[in-house]
Amino acid sequence: MMSRTVSQPRAAARRAPIDHGRWVPALFVAPVALYLLVFQGYPLVQEFLLSVTSTSLLSPGQQTYVGLDNYRELVFDPEFHQVLRVTAVYTLVCVVASIGLGLLAALLLDGTFRGRGIARALVTIPWAAPPVAAALIFVWMFNAQYGLFSHLAQFLGFADGGVNWLDEPSYALPAILITTVWQIFPFSSVVILAALQGVPSELREAAVIDGADRLSIFRAVTWPTIRPSVALLTLLITVWSLRRFDVIWLMTQGGPLGETNTLVIDLYRRAFVYLDLGRAAAVGIIGLVVAILVTLVYFWLSTRAEKAAGKR
Amino acid sequence: MKHNSTARTLAVLVLLGVAAFPLYWMLVTSLTPSERLFDATPNLLPTLSQIGTYAAAFTETSLRQWLVNSLIVAVGTTVLSILLSVLPAYALSRLTFNGKLLLGFALFMTQMLPEAMLVVPLYDIFTKLSLLNTLLGLILANTAFTVPVVTWILKGAIDGVPSEIEEAARVDGCSRLGIVLAVVVPLIAPTLAAAAVIAFFHGWNEYVFAQTFISDDALRTASVGLASFVGELSTPVHTVMAVGFIYTLPAVVFYLFVQRYVVAGMTTGGVKG
Repeated sequence: MMSRTVSQPRAAARRAPIDHGRWVPALFVAPVALYLLVFQGYPLVQEFLLSVTSTSLLSPGQQTYVGLDNYRELVFDPEFHQVLRVTAVYTLVCVVASIGLGLLAALLLDGTFRGRGIARALVTIPWAAPPVAAALIFVWMFNAQYGLFSHLAQFLGFADGGVNWLDEPSYALPAILITTVWQIFPFSSVVILAALQGVPSELREAAVIDGADRLSIFRAVTWPTIRPSVALLTLLITVWSLRRFDVIWLMTQGGPLGETNTLVIDLYRRAFVYLDLGRAAAVGIIGLVVAILVTLVYFWLSTRAEKAAGKR
Repeated sequence: MKHNSTARTLAVLVLLGVAAFPLYWMLVTSLTPSERLFDATPNLLPTLSQIGTYAAAFTETSLRQWLVNSLIVAVGTTVLSILLSVLPAYALSRLTFNGKLLLGFALFMTQMLPEAMLVVPLYDIFTKLSLLNTLLGLILANTAFTVPVVTWILKGAIDGVPSEIEEAARVDGCSRLGIVLAVVVPLIAPTLAAAAVIAFFHGWNEYVFAQTFISDDALRTASVGLASFVGELSTPVHTVMAVGFIYTLPAVVFYLFVQRYVVAGMTTGGVKG
């Protein structure tokens, strides 16, 4: 409600801008537009052009135009189907687990208690740690013989000997997910925590006086306030998970048996292990299309939700 | 509201344990003598007499050089990102112009492009510009990915500056550029700092470009140097963990100090935007 009263005069100011020369916006925007064209736009076009050729990394100058062959072969390649499946599972678990954990952490850290500032700062440690360092320490913790997780599995009676987490097809993806979720859940918690500051305390107090239990307070008061933040987190973490490279590459390089081979890892392997630039580019373009589709669905769903909320 | 405070304290401690333990474990591993790393039951406490590992991390690896390179890349990325982002952020917030929607869309698109996808074409560009195997090349590539985020965050902050302040400056005869630099920038300083931190971290952590564009050992960044130890058996584990800890700790400590601004910046700019 606050934001509405503040934003109204601002919107009016935007409709009637202060008089300025036509060259001002052009001058302000030109450098960044040029920069992004050179370092993002041009490479993207190049990547698309590569995707309709057969090109080897060994002789990038020799390109044969093959039309949509790369795409056609990917569509019918069972290994690529696995890539799509792994990407979907990885992204979905990243989103659900890191937002779930982040929400739990944010609710725990909200409100006043002693040492709150320190606790809030400490919980963000994983977000501040470099991904390569995170990969290194988790590779050590998932080590078959000496790793802590292996010791833990034996201690709890799940295994007799060492567990070869990263070499075992059914454990590798969970191990990578544990690492990734550990790294990103603090970001969700920080964003949700900030959103929780916007929960009107009078409403919550009124609900308490009315004798509402904690769950219904959450549903009626807390959730509507933080929902936009959670929605945005869903989009951000989805898109980030779709392009995540460092942790997965360093821990498994997509193995064992392709169980951790996401779109980005697959694209990198095709380019730099199989030296097949054309096919790699096609994988990249498909990944981009997936990301765009996800984003469009997100915006479609959120406008619909906004309309529904407006009607209420 | 009344809480069961013991249960809450316990839950908070578990949470902090989960968040901080891997880093603690890195420290413990670095401070455990090689022969005891492979004990049947893990040693959960550091062996303080092993502190010499940290000196060895500097003498036995090129850590010092890697850190300097990472610092150059991170600072370069930060400075360039801010320089490029302030004016378009202002334009997106305050000015009306053709292609505004297109610019916003382009900025958002970059969030969807995986770095790994652009490695090959960027390699090509850098070869032509003689920027391959240079730290400047890394700075330019990283900035392409930080500029959109920084611009978006700064736009959010500028949205919050009351336009009456600008109009007053305009009546006093200030030019548009003058208004941005003398009036708007000081007002959004905290967000500017937050955006700078985000760009800095991106440069400090970046791995794919640093791995593929740099072939000269002396130009390696810390992320690539550290990654070179993964799965490699010739360097003792406790030395590797010491290198990792030295690379991680400044980032984490720095972040703890500026965290307040980063959160404020991200939430005014990113989330509400």
